Amino acid sequence: MITIDRLCYNSKLRYVNAGEKFAFAMLTLAACVIGHSVPISCLILILTGILTVWKGGIPVSRYLRYLLVPLVFLLLSTLAIAVNVSAVPLDLFAVPVGKLYLTGSRASLFYALELLLTAMGSVSCLYFLSFSTPMPDILNVLRRLHCPRLVLELMLLIYRYIFVLFDIASAISTAQDSRLGNRNYKTSMKSFGAMISALFVRAMKKSGALYDAMESRCYDGTIRVLNETFPPKKREMALIAAAEILLYILVIWERV
Amino acid sequence: MKDVILKADDLYFSYEGEKNHSLNGLSLEIERGKKIAFMGANGSGKSTFFLCCNGIHKPVRGQLYLDGQPYDYSKKGLLKLRQRVGIVFQDPDNQLFSASVYQEISFGILNLGVSEEEAQKEVEKVIRDLEITPFRHRPTHALSGGQKKQVSIGDILVMHPDIMIFDEPAAALDPRHTRIVNRIIDRLTEQGITVMMSTHDVNFALEWADQVFLFKEGKVLAEGTPVQVFSDREVLRETNLEQPAVMELFDSLCRKHILSDALPVPRTLAQLEGYISEIHDFS
Repeated sequence: MITIDRLCYNSKLRYVNAGEKFAFAMLTLAACVIGHSVPISCLILILTGILTVWKGGIPVSRYLRYLLVPLVFLLLSTLAIAVNVSAVPLDLFAVPVGKLYLTGSRASLFYALELLLTAMGSVSCLYFLSFSTPMPDILNVLRRLHCPRLVLELMLLIYRYIFVLFDIASAISTAQDSRLGNRNYKTSMKSFGAMISALFVRAMKKSGALYDAMESRCYDGTIRVLNETFPPKKREMALIAAAEILLYILVIWERV
Repeated sequence: MKDVILKADDLYFSYEGEKNHSLNGLSLEIERGKKIAFMGANGSGKSTFFLCCNGIHKPVRGQLYLDGQPYDYSKKGLLKLRQRVGIVFQDPDNQLFSASVYQEISFGILNLGVSEEEAQKEVEKVIRDLEITPFRHRPTHALSGGQKKQVSIGDILVMHPDIMIFDEPAAALDPRHTRIVNRIIDRLTEQGITVMMSTHDVNFALEWADQVFLFKEGKVLAEGTPVQVFSDREVLRETNLEQPAVMELFDSLCRKHILSDALPVPRTLAQLEGYISEIHDFS
């Protein structure tokens, strides 16, 4: 997660208007889910891949590695769809296990593939957004879309403090390591528990200190901040619109 | 006639659940436009006093005055107070709440009810003045300690305070960033802002401050010009402080009659070196 954050701040697409990127990601995601077909999902995977890697400048190996994470999960869960346990062998393959067969049909395999690719396509849309748009920019888009204030303020604070608390946690665990706190399973468990409780206390203290600091800047219950936006470009908007229209025509054409 | 901007009169304060008072009858006067150093051991009440100055803590007894007016703890009064008296906290991670530098700096000024256009101009000005531009687009969690400090100063400066309080600004900073921060603080003084700073560095206090307050157990143990305070070995011992190196050296040179003790006490090494090089010229 922290690597994604670092990469997105260095993305070449970072200073593109966040609304454009958000709209593109969401529309493409919707197309992927509505389309629910192998060719459309593949198309979307290629499209977002090109944008993230080539336009965004995210290293290919990094990007593929990140795609692998959900892929493993998805493979395991779609396996259950492709493979059945049945008394009669199905058309694609059948492995006899006692009286039953471990078997699969062409249709179920195809369905599993479709599901897998749709999910991967959707993930790639979200990766496109998170590899190109820093969190504050996404929050700003959500604010413009009238997402509830409280949710946004919480997200703002949580996002900031993930890093602060992560730093503290890693400092604590380094200190534990240096005193052989992770020598074996038992000490590791103990150290981990101690770290979590120390972290909790620290988090409480930090939140108190943060509240004081915010109050000292006239905080009155609502977080008001200015947002830096980068103006949308006509050319980019036209390209996005064209791509989406094409994509949706394909979706409709596929469905009919 | 002293031009007093902030006055504390017999303050008492204790944290919830603690028997001992953190402030124990603290009285002092701060002069407008001066550079004031607060020294004393950890837990001697410096930070607590700072939080009182800003209205975060309300003393249980005693009164604070800003420009001769007693503190007004109503909502409107606090708003005005916190605009005029700003604190730069010791740990920037306790102060910076946003991942974006720009959002962070805009927070204070927007709370004052300024229009967005106006706020934008002020934020840009602060970013320029405090040399934040090179890292303005970096997320706050990717900034170095010194850069975070610069942003947290910007946080306060954007509100145009009359008094700026720095709680150990040099803590955990490398020498280069300490210099940057000190240069920023010097510029604030030039703009007429009263600067109050807590520090453990006697050498820095001697060179920088117009006035020094020595705190012990929630009270002012000694006050005066740095030379006055640091000449009093008794109070230094009581607060576990050392005399600044320059003063110690000057003292021993005077005792050996190499320098005349009629000379004003030097506040910097350069000044002392100046004295010594003059002797050389005579001989």
